[in-house]
Amino acid sequence: MQHVDQREIGPSAPVAASGFKPLLKITGLKSYIDVKGGMVRAVDGVNLEVGERETLGIVGESGSGKTMTGMSILRLLPQPGGRIVEGSIELDGVDLARLSEREMAREWRGRRVSMVSQDPLTSLNPVYSVGDQVRGPFRYHGLASTYAQAQRSAIEVLGRVQIPSPERRLNDYPHQFSGGMRQRVVSAMAIACKPRLLIADEPTSALDVTIQIQMINLLKQIQRDTGVGIILITHDMGLAASICDRVAVMYAGRVVECGDVRKIYASPRHPYTQALLGSIPRLGQPRQRLSAIPGQPPSLLNPPNGCRFAARCAHRMPRCEVEYPPEFQVDGGQRVACWLAEEATSAD
Amino acid sequence: MLTKTKSPLLEVRRLQKHFPVKGSREKVKAVERVSFELAAGRTFAIVGESGCGKTTVAKMVLGLDAPTAGEIRFDGTDISQLTGAGRNAWRRQVQAVFQDPYASLNPRLLVRTIIAEPLLANERLSKAQVSLRVDQMLDVVGLPRGSAARYPHEFSGGQRQRIAVARALVLRPRLLVLDEPTSALDVSIRAQILNLLGDIQAEFGVGYLLIAHDLALVEHFADAVGVMYLGEMVEQGPTAEVFNSSRHPYTRALLGSVLQPDPNVPLPTGMISGEIGSALAPPSGCRFHPRCPLAVAACRVDVPDPTYYTPTHWASCHVEAARSPMAN
Repeated sequence: MQHVDQREIGPSAPVAASGFKPLLKITGLKSYIDVKGGMVRAVDGVNLEVGERETLGIVGESGSGKTMTGMSILRLLPQPGGRIVEGSIELDGVDLARLSEREMAREWRGRRVSMVSQDPLTSLNPVYSVGDQVRGPFRYHGLASTYAQAQRSAIEVLGRVQIPSPERRLNDYPHQFSGGMRQRVVSAMAIACKPRLLIADEPTSALDVTIQIQMINLLKQIQRDTGVGIILITHDMGLAASICDRVAVMYAGRVVECGDVRKIYASPRHPYTQALLGSIPRLGQPRQRLSAIPGQPPSLLNPPNGCRFAARCAHRMPRCEVEYPPEFQVDGGQRVACWLAEEATSAD
Repeated sequence: MLTKTKSPLLEVRRLQKHFPVKGSREKVKAVERVSFELAAGRTFAIVGESGCGKTTVAKMVLGLDAPTAGEIRFDGTDISQLTGAGRNAWRRQVQAVFQDPYASLNPRLLVRTIIAEPLLANERLSKAQVSLRVDQMLDVVGLPRGSAARYPHEFSGGQRQRIAVARALVLRPRLLVLDEPTSALDVSIRAQILNLLGDIQAEFGVGYLLIAHDLALVEHFADAVGVMYLGEMVEQGPTAEVFNSSRHPYTRALLGSVLQPDPNVPLPTGMISGEIGSALAPPSGCRFHPRCPLAVAACRVDVPDPTYYTPTHWASCHVEAARSPMAN
């Protein structure tokens, strides 16, 4: 590794975007949740960017803060107790973290930023027809002034997510749809108002593999048609590899590595990313013992001072246990929060 | 190498399970004509999408559900014929590890009690003997002995699954049914549990019936595999053969749907359309025909018979059978 543009990235330093027009910029985000007996530092200093037409994957294990990052953008942190403590979330230049709930609800949530969540059975209301629910966004955000207009828009958007003969399914209830079709309905509601940013939180993990492919192809189709920026939140390294342009790997509330998807998978720089990729069985690979990561993630009630992965890390140094590494930019625009990234560059 | 014994550890023959539907004469045909064998110390995996009947098969093997037809032989004995002491002896030898260790461990019991429960129910042992066996099991699954005096909520998902494995092993079973043993766990923890299960098999010679939907895991872990679709087994054989020279279009579609952790592999374009049919009124002929890219007229009418492509690898597909009839 030589001739490296190596520098620390402060919270306000611009991050090299990857050829996409900037859309979302998260800087120094901290979201904490008060619980009985303490405060969970769910998101603890996250910097991220998403461009138009870009898909950013946030990967990590449960409790890594990936979903809470998404919920912070939507301003839907668990209540009571959840709050954004610090940092900004700029979507098209407007800081969502500072908006009133009224502005957020009227102008942004569901309109310019929307969400597809994991389980379509719980995100649809079982006692309202699909028509009622798909017409909802059009009426609420004032995009349809009459029932008939909302009805036309609902049929149109259900057609766009490839629900066969949507005009005949509007009066059906969610339980009359299959899992894959329900997730299409949820996607229809999410794209109804032509959002700028779509947050897809494990959009396919409740679906069977053959249906999963159909759903992913649909999301990519929507992106091609509308230019929407997508944040894909997932624990599935295969899914992230298949559709993301860039990937951010989260561990214990922080982004440990972020960069171009090909670079991250081909040459992961953070020991956690390396271990994570090494622990997945791959199709067509000779059978061998999996390289497991020993131990488990730290509690976010009382996270360690130094690097949060240090206790499980094979390359741990004394410094790691006392000082959290800043984000170093290594060749190719990858950002890595690991002292090794600094060591490697200064050794050359 | 294992020497071939007279009867395999587990032998399932033309297993069928129909569930009655309340207020109707129709039946849910959950499992139909399923056959396979599992040798001692080996792993047989059943893969398929939700609703294909794989968990129903597992339940019948565990004796939690009675088949409507067909038989399950354990060590050569039909388990439906077992009574009294024979039935108890069989029960001790077949244990299970379930998917969700947050649901499968009683939160009000100490880990010691959870692991000891099968012993207390099945063996007459002194207190000291029980606690020795519990300690041994904790060693095997890699938990500190002090864990015995704690409650499940004090453990993480991976550790809980270790407790579930300890409970399953305490009676020294010869067959473990593993129903999605890692899918509720985090990626970095999965490898720990898989390696543990592999070590246990190597050490104790336990046979595994693995129910899973993760094909990469199955390829990594199973000696032989059966692919189920809508209640029927459509292809079966040694894992390497089924994965490397798949004969059934459904197997190929499943394999083609695996998202590889490699950004250079393009996104699969969706080899099959539609969704799994209803087990209440399964499609005529081959149950896969409405979604099959290769379907011909015969597929809509005739139920395909298995065609053997090697002595141990078969698939039930009219088109494939016509295209490449039995090898040798």
